Amino acid sequence: MSENFRSLETKFLDKTNRISFKYNGKKYYGYKGDTLASALLSNGIHLIGRSFKYHRPRGIMTCGSEEPNAIVQIGGTGSFTEPNVRATEQEIYEGLEASSQNCWPSVEFDVGGINNFISPVIPAGFYYKTFMWPKKLWYSLYEPAIRMSAGLGKSPTQPDPELYDHNHLHCDVLVVGGGISGIIAASISSDNGNNTVLIDDKNSLGGSTIFQDDENFKINDEISSVWLNNQIKKIKNKKNLIIKHRTSLAAYHSYNYLLARENLADHKSLNERSNKLRQRLWKIRAKKVILATGAIERPLIFNNNDRPGVMLANSVKKYIDYFGVRCGNKNIIFTNNDSAYETAISLNKKGINVSIVDIRNNSSSILVKNAKDAGIKIYWNHTVVNTAGYRRIKSIQIMKMSEDGTNVIDSKINLVCDNLSISGGWTPMVHLFTQSGGKLKFRDSDQVFLPNVTTSDQISIGSCNGDFELDDVIKNTISECKNFLSLSLTDFDLLKVNCPKQKESKNIWLLPNDKPLGKTKPFLDFQNDSTAKDIKLAMREGFRSIEHVKRYTTTGMGTDQGKLANMHALGIISETAGVKMGTLGTTTFRPPYTPLTFGTIVGRNVGTFFDIARKTPMHAWHENRKAKFENVGQWKRAWYYPMDDESIHQAVQRESKAARESAGILDASTLGKIDIKGTDASEFLNRVYTNAWSKLGIGKCRYGLMLNEDGMVYDDGVTTRLDENHYVMTTTTGGAANVLSKLEDYLQTEWPELDVWLTSVTDQYATASVCGPNSKNILKKLFPKVEFNDENFPHMSFKNAELDGINCRIMRISFTGEHSYEINIESKYGKSLWEKCMDEGKEFNITPYGTETMHLLRAEKGFIIVGQDTDGTMTPIDLQMDWIVSKKKYDFIGKRSLYRSDTMREDRKQLVGLLTDNPNEVLEEGAQIVQDEKKQPIEMLGHVTSSYFSPNLNKSIALAVIKNGKKLKGQKLLVPMKDKTIKVTVSDYIFFDSKNERLNA
Amino acid sequence: MLNINYPKIEKKEFPNLQLNLVEPIIKLNLRGKSREFFTKIGKILSIMLPTEANSSATIKNISALWLSPDEWMVYGRDIDKNLKLSLDSEISKLNLGSVTDVSDQWVLINLKGKNVFEVLSKGSPFDFNKFKNTNNVVVQTLLNHIDVILHHNDTNNVNLFVRKSFSEHLWLWINDSSSFL
Repeated sequence: MSENFRSLETKFLDKTNRISFKYNGKKYYGYKGDTLASALLSNGIHLIGRSFKYHRPRGIMTCGSEEPNAIVQIGGTGSFTEPNVRATEQEIYEGLEASSQNCWPSVEFDVGGINNFISPVIPAGFYYKTFMWPKKLWYSLYEPAIRMSAGLGKSPTQPDPELYDHNHLHCDVLVVGGGISGIIAASISSDNGNNTVLIDDKNSLGGSTIFQDDENFKINDEISSVWLNNQIKKIKNKKNLIIKHRTSLAAYHSYNYLLARENLADHKSLNERSNKLRQRLWKIRAKKVILATGAIERPLIFNNNDRPGVMLANSVKKYIDYFGVRCGNKNIIFTNNDSAYETAISLNKKGINVSIVDIRNNSSSILVKNAKDAGIKIYWNHTVVNTAGYRRIKSIQIMKMSEDGTNVIDSKINLVCDNLSISGGWTPMVHLFTQSGGKLKFRDSDQVFLPNVTTSDQISIGSCNGDFELDDVIKNTISECKNFLSLSLTDFDLLKVNCPKQKESKNIWLLPNDKPLGKTKPFLDFQNDSTAKDIKLAMREGFRSIEHVKRYTTTGMGTDQGKLANMHALGIISETAGVKMGTLGTTTFRPPYTPLTFGTIVGRNVGTFFDIARKTPMHAWHENRKAKFENVGQWKRAWYYPMDDESIHQAVQRESKAARESAGILDASTLGKIDIKGTDASEFLNRVYTNAWSKLGIGKCRYGLMLNEDGMVYDDGVTTRLDENHYVMTTTTGGAANVLSKLEDYLQTEWPELDVWLTSVTDQYATASVCGPNSKNILKKLFPKVEFNDENFPHMSFKNAELDGINCRIMRISFTGEHSYEINIESKYGKSLWEKCMDEGKEFNITPYGTETMHLLRAEKGFIIVGQDTDGTMTPIDLQMDWIVSKKKYDFIGKRSLYRSDTMREDRKQLVGLLTDNPNEVLEEGAQIVQDEKKQPIEMLGHVTSSYFSPNLNKSIALAVIKNGKKLKGQKLLVPMKDKTIKVTVSDYIFFDSKNERLNA
Repeated sequence: MLNINYPKIEKKEFPNLQLNLVEPIIKLNLRGKSREFFTKIGKILSIMLPTEANSSATIKNISALWLSPDEWMVYGRDIDKNLKLSLDSEISKLNLGSVTDVSDQWVLINLKGKNVFEVLSKGSPFDFNKFKNTNNVVVQTLLNHIDVILHHNDTNNVNLFVRKSFSEHLWLWINDSSSFL
């Protein structure tokens, strides 16, 4: 039976709730509230995984989000599996299964460990040098090998079955971080009437002070943890304070827009979380933000500092004082500062063997005195030069340092240990501050980057602002909050704080060794295996910028984003290059602060909610008729209606023949519709469209082309004059909203003098478009009171009519070239109208057709689709639509631009028709068109915009935009495809009924 | 006779939340800015159009929602065809402004209960903190990326207007989100 390392009492865990979990297939036990890391440590397990490059054994190093080593695969191999989960953050639950990553066949014996032995030949940057030659091996060997070894853990291969959610939150003050400074800030803020939100990534508040039981740390004569615990109890009852546990801030964007991930079920068993949300992404808008994100302890950089059992000192303290777990039986603390002595004292108090190696000559701190008084052995002015132990540290070698700290002297001392707690000082967590656009400053005294200038309404308090001692943290937190929230008094103003002060400090980025650097492995980035010598190699090879060194050595590019590594990398660069560290700057801190699951990012926008579905009133009919739908903007439009096992091609051929030969019906409800009223409506249309509108009679329709100010075609549609001062405009389906915004913008800013009112009525009316030689007969049956002869109801005219007592607007307009009518009715009657049309059209074999057939029919007629045959660079003249541009009108949007030298060039790309030499060969839309395939470089003349096989013409037809196209009519051109070149002839763009005989039939 | 078809929206209940389709109900879009326009509207509807941004006025069963400085939506059980016709003849025909029937343009869904703003916050970036404590306020915002008009007509009682084509999708989304309250 393995030794139980949970020999200590703790009030922070529920010891009545024993939980079983599996790690690498073996069953273990922990308690509710344990992280996977604390539970494993309590079972004596330190070896968790293998490093990325050298596959060196790695163990738990920290107790938080900065963990580089203890990253595991959770959830076996099923759809619930998740890689790269930090054991230090994952709470255990009944049935949890975790396994080591990046090792085979096991973490104990990993074949990949061979990399450690060949490490001299695979230094930093070897990727870039090695795989350059021979070139032919890239596809056959290098790429497959790199892909096989890339990444940590295994991605799930099945869809994520868990549920995720998004939520918006607005508050006056957001406090990020639930340590002592965050709790004081949240308390001050909420006490003064601010709607306050406090978020913390742990399952309970208090940070590191909550387990600080040392008599040296007192607030108002109470031990700091006792005082803080009382404050936590108080803030839980505050009315305008929301506290969110297990919530970590992922991103801090401009203008105090922040994203936070709340873990709702990651600590629950799979049964408990069934059909419940796993995580929620909070989208927070805060008027003010208080960052109290704390600081993380720095490691020390020395030879073989990566063995399992090498941990950060403060984390060791948390495991003892919070989780009741000792990380070893023989502990050595290796430090350059006083804070690690707190860990030593804690260990000593619990009867655990501990000694200290300190690189300083001495310290006058009360903590050091307490350690000495407790009989803890201290090796002053010593450094660790090596460690031993493969799967767990067994011993260390220390040597005395020279006076200047650049070398080691005297003989080696061998110390036996099973845990080495290291502490290299503290690094303020300024990631979120810089994400928000804040600029940092460098403090030379303790070599830290601190928040400096920011444009958003925020402050940083506590240790993330460089206050590392309790009295400074409290005093400055109160004063900063008072200033930030414009307060003169707080309940905390008279607090009395006692704590030890750090007096002597010494920092050496790369500790000296008796061996040359090339013979040692002092790791900086424990996850990516980058060492101090890699940094120096990069410097020798000419890299100077931290951003370049980072990428060359992969320092800080792991899932931990170098939270432990980056400062040391900067320090070594500055020392090597002989420049001040503050001038180097930092690497860019990008969101997210800690990894987010894809599920959290997308929330409920999956499946049905992946995209918005906009449906016409006839949608249910189309569905019943087994229509296939296509997305047009957000609309679901009937694409084609396959019968039996028809392919799209067969269905479109059938539908288009039916429309030309008898009758077809199209759901045109998606077209944008804008109601235009006012005494200046005609003048408004004159200014909006390129053609003239003043003389359009009541009851008449007209096609219009709308340009941008640059003269390029923006939208088109038919507008109908319903009354003297009343029009209804139709727009393209996708352009409706933008056209309305544009027109409203013009009315409000450019033409406020016009008496014109616009109202969107797109959804108010359903539209059925009936076309074909028998359309008139069908309309006659539907509207027996209306005269449909050409004199009474000519092409491009409109009539009000009633269908079963319901008002309809009938427009005789056509987008197919056939005699056709559009019937508009209030949308609640849309489906019924459609069914009525189908009933009355039965004897004429009325055939529903979708957008694909519509595209074919209009292409036969050479009618353009804005957005398909145009791309924002086509003028009406390019489209051979000179006829629609009025020469007489004083002005219209885009007119001036049509007379610019470039838009008047005759060799611009112009719309033409294309006919393939082989009439059965259909061109691909988007295909490039050339004249001479052999010309180098090959000259692209244009591209195919629309292409179909026309059953009515029994040949392939296409529309294209081609440079100088008008003059190329009749010429042969080439369309080179992947496996052949298609010969085409430039033709007129109207292929069918060029005299409009059918339209007026 | 033509059949009437409304989007597939049925009454639903969730913890502290009731959802209900409120149709048919006449909705009119009013646009204008002249004094005569306001006077005529006041006479015909017996209601003063609100001029304060994002506010509304309700008298009996007619509500007028401020949409922009010269645009309102009026809706209510007391608006009938005759009222509509007199508005059209007194406003549109006399060129005092514009009256447009948008009864079929918008679908009205009522959300009622303590969790109304909980579910709205899931899909809307709007800050409901003040809104939920004030009756007779209006906001045009996005809900699950869809344009909506929200009329807070009583405590924890919101009339939501959504364009008909979006209504079924939004309804499904509201149901889905309500199930995770």
